Amino acid sequence: MREKTVLKENKKRKKQIGLGGFDIIFFIIVLSLTTIGLIMMFSSSYTYAYYKRGDSFYFLKRQLFFVVIGIIIMFGVSTVDYRKLKNFASLLLIVSYVLLVVVLIVPPPAGYEEFHRWIRLPLVGTFQPSEIAKFAIILFFSYHMDKFYRHNNGLVKHNSKDNIVNIGSINMARMSFNKFLYILILLSTCALIYAENHVSGALLVFAIGFFMLYLAGFRNWQFVAVLILFLLLVMAVIIKPEILPGHASPRIKAWLDKDYSPMKYRWQTNNALYAIASGGFFGKGIGNSTQKHLYVSEPQNDFIFSIVCEELGLIGGTLIIGLFIALLLRGLYIANRSRDRFGTFLCLGIVFQISIQAALNIGVVTDMLPNTGISLPFFSYGGTAMIMLLAELGIVLSISRSSRIRKF
Amino acid sequence: MKQISEQKIKEKRRLNDVRKNKPDKKIKLRANIIVALLCVIGFAIGFLGILRAQLINGEKYRNAALRQQYSDVKIQADRGMIYDANMKVLAKSAAVFKVFVDPHNIKNEADREIISQILSKRLEMPYEEILEKTKNSKSRYVVIKSQVEFNVKESIVKDLKQHKGLSNAVGYDSDVKRYYPFGNSASTVLGFTGDKDRGLNGIEYYYDNELTGIPGRSITAKNALSQSIGSEYDKIYSTQNGQSLVLTIDSVVQHYLDDALSQVIVDKKANYGCGIVMNVKTGAILAMSTKPDFNLNEPSKLQNPVFITKLDEIKDEAEQKAYKKNAIKEQWKNRCITDSYEPGSVFKCFTASAALEENVVSMKDEFYCSGKIQIADKTYNCSNHSGHGKENIKDGLVNSCNPIFIEIGQKMGSEKFFKYFEAFGFTEKTGVDLPSEMMPIAGKTYHDFNNLGKVQLASSSFGQTFQITPLQILTAICSLGNDGKLMTPYIVDRVLDENQNTIIQNVPTVKRQVVSPKTAKTVVDMMEEGVKSGIAKNAYIPGYRVAGKTGTSQKLLAKGKYISSFAGLAPADDPEIAILIMVDEPEGTFYGSVVAAPTAAEVLKNTLNYYNIEPEYTDEELAKLNIKVPEIIGKDSKEAAIDLQNKGFSVKVIGNKGKVIAQFPAINNLIAKNGTILLMTEKNSKIPNISVPNFEGMNMTQAVKTARSSGINLKMSGYIKGKESLVYRQSAKAGTSIPYASTVTIYFKSSENVADF
Repeated sequence: MREKTVLKENKKRKKQIGLGGFDIIFFIIVLSLTTIGLIMMFSSSYTYAYYKRGDSFYFLKRQLFFVVIGIIIMFGVSTVDYRKLKNFASLLLIVSYVLLVVVLIVPPPAGYEEFHRWIRLPLVGTFQPSEIAKFAIILFFSYHMDKFYRHNNGLVKHNSKDNIVNIGSINMARMSFNKFLYILILLSTCALIYAENHVSGALLVFAIGFFMLYLAGFRNWQFVAVLILFLLLVMAVIIKPEILPGHASPRIKAWLDKDYSPMKYRWQTNNALYAIASGGFFGKGIGNSTQKHLYVSEPQNDFIFSIVCEELGLIGGTLIIGLFIALLLRGLYIANRSRDRFGTFLCLGIVFQISIQAALNIGVVTDMLPNTGISLPFFSYGGTAMIMLLAELGIVLSISRSSRIRKF
Repeated sequence: MKQISEQKIKEKRRLNDVRKNKPDKKIKLRANIIVALLCVIGFAIGFLGILRAQLINGEKYRNAALRQQYSDVKIQADRGMIYDANMKVLAKSAAVFKVFVDPHNIKNEADREIISQILSKRLEMPYEEILEKTKNSKSRYVVIKSQVEFNVKESIVKDLKQHKGLSNAVGYDSDVKRYYPFGNSASTVLGFTGDKDRGLNGIEYYYDNELTGIPGRSITAKNALSQSIGSEYDKIYSTQNGQSLVLTIDSVVQHYLDDALSQVIVDKKANYGCGIVMNVKTGAILAMSTKPDFNLNEPSKLQNPVFITKLDEIKDEAEQKAYKKNAIKEQWKNRCITDSYEPGSVFKCFTASAALEENVVSMKDEFYCSGKIQIADKTYNCSNHSGHGKENIKDGLVNSCNPIFIEIGQKMGSEKFFKYFEAFGFTEKTGVDLPSEMMPIAGKTYHDFNNLGKVQLASSSFGQTFQITPLQILTAICSLGNDGKLMTPYIVDRVLDENQNTIIQNVPTVKRQVVSPKTAKTVVDMMEEGVKSGIAKNAYIPGYRVAGKTGTSQKLLAKGKYISSFAGLAPADDPEIAILIMVDEPEGTFYGSVVAAPTAAEVLKNTLNYYNIEPEYTDEELAKLNIKVPEIIGKDSKEAAIDLQNKGFSVKVIGNKGKVIAQFPAINNLIAKNGTILLMTEKNSKIPNISVPNFEGMNMTQAVKTARSSGINLKMSGYIKGKESLVYRQSAKAGTSIPYASTVTIYFKSSENVADF
């Protein structure tokens, strides 16, 4: 009888996790963003590539390679049961910490002496530990928040055995301990990234963690209080940008003062604005941007959205924002219908990360936010980032396989 | 109660989810809140950012983008050419360069010095001046020199390349330079251009709009490094080059006029001279000259010798500078239209015309000149103090008798006189298409009708106490040769577009009928008589019928200073060419007949010849003048020599062979009777040289004798009559060496009975 049930369950699970069982709508959104992103990356980069590398297809060839690898990885990951990731959550967090410390020690690449953001590895090339940290935090929080959800929400009897944590001689309620732990992990990670002189990265990780912790069971007033605290901090920075590190404060000043001098701090932003304005309603058409001709420097990177707006116009820009929103909403849909809470947390963490990053990037490019080095998912050039992104989306697809949603 | 139970059910359901490790209501709610926040404050911010960049600041950003992406280069339109009537180029533009320095690209003092040295050497400018200019760090465009020729620019480029990193500091912009192949010729008429290729004077100024054209634009898209990003973005608005002008000026006639006028100014040490040659029937100006003038290629160089001497005398530097500035302006003046003078006796033609037209006087009416005449309290003398005696109006004009014309004027009265004064155009501009024409001012340059009392009328009748411009006089003279029709003079015949197609053709304009054709003809006949036998005889040209009138006017303000002038028409029976020569303050004999008339005759004769108006000699003239050289080549040298000697020629044979193989002068050349002919019988034999004797001051007999003895052939020109005519000029300078039997032209004029006050 019991064997039978197991067999039945196994059969059921196989059916759920088999190929073709993931959410096709989410997959289409991902594929659309990837395709449009690749095309626009090529359109933005070819003059720059030609000028810098003598080969118009330099960036396209590499990015296409990573996209293909990434999609294969995405499919692969989507067939794996995401619950297995729980086993790696703590390990990945530790690795992330190690990398964040190592990156501060190893010499940064030439020309970026000020920024300790990259680690160069043989074969892999350069990568940012903060990218790992983002996912490590999402995974660990999802795992831990799921495991202790009842404790964190006070649904466990106070005197129950596993609700007491012993730290040395101090006995502590599990709920308080966990909340301290989360805040400690989040703030220490952010501090390490901040130490890289990577304010935007720290901010991004903080935002992801902050939203996830709200899901974990922090109280509403705590959520609002931190939000208000954050706004106060922002105001402080606006009033006195000097409190930020040397490389960040002039960017804030240049954001506040549109005629800031030296001009190099506004050159990139101004040219992005020129590009967006030149696009008009319908855009100049793919390939027809003039601003990409070395005015927007490295147009395939952080400022790619300005070229997208110049070539595809307000319509195109809005459509892409719409696709990001669709990704977020469909992610929410999958998360809400996830078979387990871990899937919910993990799925939300991943789509939050993508959405926050996209929103920050677009805000920067349109001069609504100060200029920070933050890339646009699916669009900006970068191999490791692309593979990471598609692998994470593979996890979402894996989650979608077991979600209670209609399959096509 | 029901609410509570519902809440309880919900809570139960949630706890059930939690127990099963499924996302409960609370998580879903919070996830929705976060997603809403992300959409509203995350993506909405970006969307608003696009809207702000496109709608609120769009115009500003788009313009800024265009400014940096496109280079909008002005393409200078070529300034039109100026041609003479035979399409000879009088003014043309050529591409040159403007050399400038970008002080920001000079790295150090050593570079600065090398650059300054190179520029100083190649541009022929003081080293310190250039060094100072390169220190102007405020500008990135410091012009060192404009209008630098191509080869000079190339040499600078080459010099700079020999040093490392200097080429960036020096730039070259396109510039234009105006060239005037004829230099001084018609300089006051043509005018010149200034800094920005704009006309500053003369025709260049008057027709500046036509000549300038419309500059084009070349809009090219470029990347941030100013490299072109492809021709599909380029836009070119083509330049519309300036239109060209074809003048009525004929550079050949202009040359005749310039030459003769310069000569008389030098000979007579005069202040200045004006000359105009006009087409009688159309009013087209064939030549116009003011001497001394200036070289159009260096308009700011002082050329007037009087000014130069005076300038040197001034010690004070500031004063000297001011004087020079003024003097340069003075030498740019086209005095034919900007300056006025008392026309003197030339004006008698118009008084006569008016009197005859109004029938105040008939040809038969007799007057009496006693040598002076009293009007009110003023006595006017005749140049002939003993008086001309009985005269009709024709005699009066031929003798240039003042009392007769005063009397005619008085008889006519102010009203009629002023009517014709106006009709001949003396109270208005001629309307010629040249700038700065003087506007006559009533009460100042002439007596207006209300102030034309008896005395003023008297002096006005013979051309004194009022002033008019040389062009006004000649235009009025032309009307007499044109059946009484006053024309508007003009100098631009047609305007051409880039492809030499005529777009505007000037047509002669009749201003008004001043007098009847009959009156006009009568006056011209009287003027012809004046040249034939009267005061104006020095304007006589053998073979042509010249009508003319001389004038010698006393300057109102400068006592003892005179203006000599002559206005004439030819051929008198059907006038085609009109000429006016006016000489200001000649030294020595100052009569118009002596100073201006021979000059006018010289120009007229050359001009008539040039226009193929065949001379018709009377037998008397022919006998007296030049004869054609017969053909001798092929004949036996001895026979030919005897034959020629019998005809009165002097013959010289070179070589011993029988047949003549060459002769000098060639067949049909005109030489004076009794001339010398050289015959050659051998090839390559050398023609001996002879020294030119000085003919000036000789009468005809003496000149012929001298010429014959020295083996020179003469061609005689001017007024030749017995012993009273003397040579005043010769075509080859005395003492120069010329081949045996060469022809020298000598010019005669009379110095008797020429007073023409």
